[in-house]
Amino acid sequence: MSWIGKSPERKEDQRLIRGRGLFVDDKQSYGLLHLHLVRSPYAHAQILSIDVAAAEALPGVICTLTGAEVKDLMPESFMELGPEPAASIRDYPLAVGKAIFQGEPVAAVVAETPALAADGGALIEVDYDMLDAVVTAEQALEDKDILHESAGTNQTWQGVYEYGEVDKAFAEAATVVAIDRLHFHRFASTPVENNAVVAEWLPHGDLNFFCNNSFVGFAQQLLAPALGISVDQMHIKTHDIGGSFGNKISNYTQMAIAALASRKTGGRSVKWVETRTEHLLSSGHGNERTFLDTEVALDKNGVITAVRSRHIDDCGAYPRYEPLGCVIWSQVLPATYGVRNFRIDFSQAVTNKCPAVPNRGYSRMQHLWFMERIIDICAHELDIPADEMRLKNYITEFPYTTPNGCVYDSGNYPAMLEKAKELIGWDDWKKKQADARGEGRLLGIGIGTTLDSGTNNFGQARIMNPHLPFSGNSEVATIRIDLQGSVIVTLGSGPSGQSHETTASQVVAEELGISPDLVRVRSGFDTGWNTFVGHSGSYASQFAVTGLSAVHGACEKLKAEMRRLAAFILEASEEDLEFGIGDEGPQLSVKGTDQAVNYWYMGNLVNNDNAVLAGELGDVTLNIRHVYRPPFTVPDTERKYGNLTLTYAAQLHIAVIEIDRAFGHPKILAYAAVDDCGTVINPKIVGGQVHGATAHGIGAAIMEIFQYDETGNLLTSSFSDYCPITSMNMPDVQYGSIQTPSPFSYNGAKGMGEGGGAPLHTVSAAIQDALYGEGVIVRESHHSANSVFALLRDSDESTGVQVETRQ
Amino acid sequence: MYPAPFHYHRVDSLQDAISRLAELGDSARALAGGQTLLVWMKLRFDEPRHLVDLSRIPGLSDIRLEGDEVCIGALATHAEITKSAVAAAIPSVYDCGSGIADGQIRSRGTIGGALGSADPSCDWPVLLHTLDAVLTCTGPEGTRSIPVSELVEDIYTTILQPAELITGIRFRMPPENSAGAYCGFKRCAPAYPTASVAVQLTLEDDICSEVRIALGSAGLTTVTSKEAENILRGSRLTEANIDKAAQAIVAAAEPVPDQRGAEDFKRAVLHSLVKRAVDIAMRRCQGETIGVHREYV
Repeated sequence: MSWIGKSPERKEDQRLIRGRGLFVDDKQSYGLLHLHLVRSPYAHAQILSIDVAAAEALPGVICTLTGAEVKDLMPESFMELGPEPAASIRDYPLAVGKAIFQGEPVAAVVAETPALAADGGALIEVDYDMLDAVVTAEQALEDKDILHESAGTNQTWQGVYEYGEVDKAFAEAATVVAIDRLHFHRFASTPVENNAVVAEWLPHGDLNFFCNNSFVGFAQQLLAPALGISVDQMHIKTHDIGGSFGNKISNYTQMAIAALASRKTGGRSVKWVETRTEHLLSSGHGNERTFLDTEVALDKNGVITAVRSRHIDDCGAYPRYEPLGCVIWSQVLPATYGVRNFRIDFSQAVTNKCPAVPNRGYSRMQHLWFMERIIDICAHELDIPADEMRLKNYITEFPYTTPNGCVYDSGNYPAMLEKAKELIGWDDWKKKQADARGEGRLLGIGIGTTLDSGTNNFGQARIMNPHLPFSGNSEVATIRIDLQGSVIVTLGSGPSGQSHETTASQVVAEELGISPDLVRVRSGFDTGWNTFVGHSGSYASQFAVTGLSAVHGACEKLKAEMRRLAAFILEASEEDLEFGIGDEGPQLSVKGTDQAVNYWYMGNLVNNDNAVLAGELGDVTLNIRHVYRPPFTVPDTERKYGNLTLTYAAQLHIAVIEIDRAFGHPKILAYAAVDDCGTVINPKIVGGQVHGATAHGIGAAIMEIFQYDETGNLLTSSFSDYCPITSMNMPDVQYGSIQTPSPFSYNGAKGMGEGGGAPLHTVSAAIQDALYGEGVIVRESHHSANSVFALLRDSDESTGVQVETRQ
Repeated sequence: MYPAPFHYHRVDSLQDAISRLAELGDSARALAGGQTLLVWMKLRFDEPRHLVDLSRIPGLSDIRLEGDEVCIGALATHAEITKSAVAAAIPSVYDCGSGIADGQIRSRGTIGGALGSADPSCDWPVLLHTLDAVLTCTGPEGTRSIPVSELVEDIYTTILQPAELITGIRFRMPPENSAGAYCGFKRCAPAYPTASVAVQLTLEDDICSEVRIALGSAGLTTVTSKEAENILRGSRLTEANIDKAAQAIVAAAEPVPDQRGAEDFKRAVLHSLVKRAVDIAMRRCQGETIGVHREYV
């Protein structure tokens, strides 16, 4: 039987539902100490003095740390990925000299209990001199107040992405639509488990580091040099992780303090567990993007021929990983549309806000929202129905090479649109909408098409900084038949809820002709126990391709060894052997006979009883490591051209929204989501990912926003103010899928976990559709009742959109 | 999220609680359900040296009918009230109690605690204004009755004397021809309402003979308006005079712009909710069964 496309019981559930998971805060040990961070209440302030005497005098407090001390303990600050001037930014785990966002850690206390550490924190006196805060990227680019003196400017990156013949396309356009400003807001996916680490600096200099970072392959390369040890000396381990959504890629900075604290205490274990308010204040927000002076050229049929625009990312206080966001969006440059001519001037600025980090839909979502806003605004201005506008512009031939050299593997956007229309009852809603408009009600129907590009080519980092020694991608898996005949698989991925144990066991079961319950998958990153490569981690929608291709490759190598071994034992020819399950468990048998050898026998022979083996089988270990490397080349960094991602999953959503005229409340009346991630390995897990991404997107579109006031004070730093979405806020989602298998992955699958933020595009489109008659153009991505009310109130003001028709 | 160190005192009787609080003075707080106080302490917005736990005092969480008077003990939790016969008989009590925060908070938080916190975003005080509730309060000087409308002096400040505790809430069971409604607009379950409205109407032959309207999250304290009530009292309820009354009470409101919304937005929400609550109360007076009207986002 085939295990692909089935939904066997999740292997993880037995452990997690019974409370037998191992999250960082579950870790206990004798003499464990606890770390508390004292944080800046100001967004921008000079630190005049820090007095730790009272804290250190408190019984139970072991020691404290300040920025100045940390700077001395670390041989270098954390590496910034960006080129100069971003590369000159000094990034220490505690603020040195100056705090540049509210919630930035300025001092640490280590104590016998978490409560004593917090009490000690309250006794630390920090004297601040408040400075003016820079809270928008546009303000930052004026360079009036410089955040990082070592960089000398707030602009941390700038580059122009130009493809095709932009000026010619504008000269020949039938219509040019200009949009003055679009803005994508700040939010994050708020994983249920906050950041946490237990660090133990061992006497011989090694460091045990049990944490919940989600991209450890990368984090260890930044942590080790900053801590002055080699990567080999860092024993980094993750186990169960309660969600990441990219947010836990950059949590290494604050975690490093626990390591330094352990060293200062003489090697005692030090635990740091972030609180929710700390998480919302300082762990990382999704990036905020402003799109200025956008111009769109269209031909007489409403086909978009060119786009030019200026984009600015607000990366918060430290760029860290974030300059990658200045390139990653270009994986989906034309979105789902056949536009060939682009000029995008892209820059990034630092502000006195929480540092930006990857967040579900990372960087592509912002750009896809931008392209979808363009489609809808042009459609409305040219009086073309939103569905027809998309059909006129969709890419329909695959594989499709985009203007910047990315190759869209497969897809069928018109079929997805058709399916979503069917699920939601399009024609019926169109009639209801006409009736509602007759009654003066504000009912809108919106479409959002999005892409989730997976398995990225790290060579794109060189477009951002040509000096970075990263390219390609890889993931690793091991498989072995142990001395008792068990099938043991290890993964480099370190999942945070993506069911890697289950899907990996399905692939192994499929390959070996056994069942998933006979496969033991040890997941979790572990530099001492599991295998890893520099790209190992769970991020960027890649396990179905990168991770499972590694598992598949390992299975193929193992099978080759098992065939040789079984052929020897059974005195048969390799071609006559078949894999399967017999009376004595998993086995290889000689086709058409009752001759078979089970895994126990083979495992024992290799590991315990090897004198029996012939000399020529000396290389058979039944212990395989396989690294999968996607077929990438290094992009042309001058032209910013190359294949940046291997697979392109797509989602198409439709929402029907009615807006309460009295106070702007947008109520979702119906919602459909269609997914295409190629061949589906496990429908239940894919369905879970689609629903989760939909919830995150609807939450972001309607409820969730990090609001700062003009002094850089975060107004939404608790869940009762930030209001993350729960099931009570969710509409019923009509869910469907199509499958266009990827020609580039062995199994036809595409990575799909991020989802591409489709609800943001869809909700904006539906609100646009509802309010267009009121003279409103939707230029923001966040639509709380309060903001929709403001749209209605200000509807007589300029829409910021101009249409020039030339023919 | 660890509070500053404090001493914990558990008392078994009201008298013990009062004498302990009197003795400990300003550095002590009475602990009921803890759903406001403990959060404030964890954020270190408040750092009392002593907590006097009232939860073991017997008899303070009873919910009963004495004649036509509803008596609710101050330690009754939101969930207990919502599941009680009182809530079954008075739909606006169910509207209000079932919409407070989430299930965990409803299981721990108490009505007395909500009143004592004097937080203008709390739900019960708004509803209790429209039921003309009277609070029984006991302190070192003895027991007195305080109308709910007189309890709160300013935001987070009551007229309670040191060591004086709210022990019970009393209000008259509304007559057959009287009904109310409580409508809140919240962004998500655990959030405080962006705005909320309580209404109690009495109809006699389609004429509104009595009316109470109160607004929550609409200023530093619960907002009421004699003017708005006068517009409706003695009249047939029409769309026009309901709108006029809504305008009058919203004009009396002073909503504070914050992360939940701008001032004009909040006024629009309040206006809309007044009309909705009056409509529901009116239909309930006429015998219609209308369940909770609650929307998030």
